[in-house]
Amino acid sequence: MSKNLNLYFDNAATSWPKPEAVYRAPETQMREASGNPGRSGHTRTLESDRLLYKTRETLGRLFNISDPSRVVFAYNGTDALNIALKGFLEKGDHVLYTAMEHNSVLRPLGRLRRDGLIDTTMIPCSETGYPDLDYLETAYHPNTTLLVVNHASNVTGTIAPLPEIIKSAHNRRVKVLVDAAQTAGVIPIDVQKEAIDMLAFTGHKGLLGPTGTGGLYVSPDIDLKPLREGGTGSQSESDVHPESMPERLEAGTLNSAGLAGLLEGVNFILEQGFEQTRKKEEELRDYLWNNLRSINGITLYGPETSPGRTVAVVSLTVEGADCGEVGYILESSYGILCRTGLHCAPLAHQAIGTHPEGTVRLSPGFFTTKKDIDFLIQALVEIVQLASG
Amino acid sequence: MASSCYITFPTIFYAIRAESILKDQPYSFKMVPVPRSLSSSCGTALRCGCQDILSIKDLLLQNDLELEGFYRLEEEGLKSPTVTPLNLNERKVDEQ
Repeated sequence: MSKNLNLYFDNAATSWPKPEAVYRAPETQMREASGNPGRSGHTRTLESDRLLYKTRETLGRLFNISDPSRVVFAYNGTDALNIALKGFLEKGDHVLYTAMEHNSVLRPLGRLRRDGLIDTTMIPCSETGYPDLDYLETAYHPNTTLLVVNHASNVTGTIAPLPEIIKSAHNRRVKVLVDAAQTAGVIPIDVQKEAIDMLAFTGHKGLLGPTGTGGLYVSPDIDLKPLREGGTGSQSESDVHPESMPERLEAGTLNSAGLAGLLEGVNFILEQGFEQTRKKEEELRDYLWNNLRSINGITLYGPETSPGRTVAVVSLTVEGADCGEVGYILESSYGILCRTGLHCAPLAHQAIGTHPEGTVRLSPGFFTTKKDIDFLIQALVEIVQLASG
Repeated sequence: MASSCYITFPTIFYAIRAESILKDQPYSFKMVPVPRSLSSSCGTALRCGCQDILSIKDLLLQNDLELEGFYRLEEEGLKSPTVTPLNLNERKVDEQ
């Protein structure tokens, strides 16, 4: 097989390519608007202010958020999760989280726990990445205030059963923080219908925007303590940071160039509609899974079939081969880009039985074709032969 | 001497939200830097005709906006305008 450059199977890390408008919008914002949002009353500033408002409103359309003031901008999903966790939790709180959580949740929780502020309990997950709902029912403490759940695993693609989890938590007056890093822009999310209390999302994955963008939805009945305070362009005479959302949780100059790109990414998703894009991604994932399943020497991790159960992520190991080596051959011999190792989710790898070696993770995206997947499958067939030889 | 009315906002988010809500409404208005004679938490204000300020205020409050202040300014050339804070609860702008 010849090397086919630019076969990108790392969309779970960051999506590529982007819609053309996403590339263009940051440049236009920097060249033609460029005023510092909220800081002056002149035309360029107002244009930047309008862009930020439009972006909040458009994200609101995507997630069915009726009040755009509840959409807070962040640098990425990790930042949004930190704003939520450190703004919500109080000394003495108990927090539940699943084994599929990313380090973006595990590390902030670990810090708060080591500092003696909170206690935590992990909800174990099955080998295919499903949280143990029976265990969940036994895990609540009288001081449990928050449950954190990864909407879809970045290791196996497994979609968490949000309705059951949220119902269980709400029955005990426990709030739910959903990490939508792998699902925002990929799966329809309705914060009102699904009664999501907080939704953390990144801009550069399924939302098809630039890096350095992301956000947090905070339901109207939650007041978070600000993680950072500073300039907002309003109430400048006071050393008290504004209480009013969204400024309450934002400080300093926002990434208006990046957010201009994010707006175009979200517009693209809204124009395409979820029904068609989701069906296409599920078909690609199943096609990849079903072809790899028949190859002796490859072990797959995650749910068997995808309708409603996974996003387009497939994790595998090759018998007799280090996963890092497989990734290296995929790129150097075939031009195929993927991610290998633990994917910042060590507990998830413990759950599926691949800790500490990790897996080779293949994540097709919106622009992946069936032809790309055929090339990938053939490359893996050859690598398996090499490993067994 | 010309008079204009102004609405000020606690933050820029609400100023832009007001503009977004009003853009499809039959009111003549403009988002402008807050005149130096007014004090405001946010640097952008809404300027409108005084005959419309009551209706605009009602519409914005119906949409859960946070508003800060309401003023009438008598402007004459480049001189400092005469500022009259408005108590819109009394619903009589012209007589105040």
